[in-house]
Amino acid sequence: MRDEVRDFIFKNFLFDDSGDSLNDSDSFLEKGIIDSTGMLELVAFLEEKYGIRIEDDELVPENLDSVERLVQFISRKKVPS
Amino acid sequence: MKICSRCILPDTFPGIKFDEHGVCSHCADFKGIEALNEHKREYEKKFLDLVGQSREKGAYDCMIAYSGGKDSTYTLKVLKERYNLRILALTIDNGFISERAFKNMCSVSENLGVDHLIFRPRFDLMKKVFLKSSENDIYSKKTLERASTICTSCIGIVKFVTLKTAIEKSVPLIAYGWSPGQAPVQSSVMKVNPQLIRATQAATLGPLSKLVGDEVNAYFLTEDHFALADRFPHNVHPLAFLDYNEERIIKEIGQIGWEEPDDTDSNSTNCLLNAYANDVHIKRFGFHPYVWEIANMVRSGVMDREDGYKKIYGEQPSGLLTVAKKRLGI
Ligand SMILES: [Zn+2]
Repeated sequence: MRDEVRDFIFKNFLFDDSGDSLNDSDSFLEKGIIDSTGMLELVAFLEEKYGIRIEDDELVPENLDSVERLVQFISRKKVPS
Repeated sequence: MKICSRCILPDTFPGIKFDEHGVCSHCADFKGIEALNEHKREYEKKFLDLVGQSREKGAYDCMIAYSGGKDSTYTLKVLKERYNLRILALTIDNGFISERAFKNMCSVSENLGVDHLIFRPRFDLMKKVFLKSSENDIYSKKTLERASTICTSCIGIVKFVTLKTAIEKSVPLIAYGWSPGQAPVQSSVMKVNPQLIRATQAATLGPLSKLVGDEVNAYFLTEDHFALADRFPHNVHPLAFLDYNEERIIKEIGQIGWEEPDDTDSNSTNCLLNAYANDVHIKRFGFHPYVWEIANMVRSGVMDREDGYKKIYGEQPSGLLTVAKKRLGI
């Protein structure tokens, strides 16, 4: 899943051949990789890809704003508690 | 230049690939119109539920970011006539609204019976924003696929002024007239989250204020706004799930006094700066800043390929660049 998420970010926001480096803990917003509209595209991708429904109150940087956070968030969502 | 045989994206578009039939990677990834329609129905329902909850909470049910262009005019008409909302239309005048667009706004607000607020940021500062935006890549690379940097700066200011006004006036709903190509249906009904706004505002305001100065802070949220977390509204852009057809839209809004301007480029029905913003973008990056939006509409069957092609690759009215440059003092 980590690879899929990284792959999506690279393909859609960094462009494969750009040579940009991205650490799993880097904030997308702080690094200027994703803007607000991009965040919404990211949400659309996650819902589609993992069959999850992201609620309004889950749209926070803590859940979405780095590869690491995304992976943890999706893992939590996929296992219903 | 190679252009996708299905949509209209060119080979100069960042990261694009083509298969042996000349079909681009964006078209290959497209899930199909049926899947899209299913999403549309789902989000329309979500919207109707939200409208039900938003009525009669304060002085207004809904605010609309009203540019006077065809899309926001149509959105306003639908919200008023179909959903019967009490609306405050808010126009941010960037100093480049076409004369016809201004007349249109006034006739439409009057004919529909909605309150209309016009906010005109000081032009010396806006001019600085536009000039700096024409020379620098201020925002993330991704934004360059979707719009010129001039447009992104302007829309950024529009979004944050609109949001802070909605918070100040306790309006529970903000509507935008994004075309179905501009924003995905999955984000067409969404609660504005204060933490996310804080982070995205920093991403916009940080680089912008570095270039043009702290005076631009006036158009963004302050701690006073963030303290009112329970007043943060929902954002909606109904054109993503409503039936969209440009010809029909223009005909329908004609009935409430809207006339097509003859002094704007083929991708704007209100802004005189747009042609210049497009020109700068094309020269710097080799593709039209509207091509992503128009290609989305062609791909999803909302616009004929031929019409989309003309909008992007067709000839533009002459003289628009001179008008914009003169006003910018270039
Ligand atoms: Zn294509």
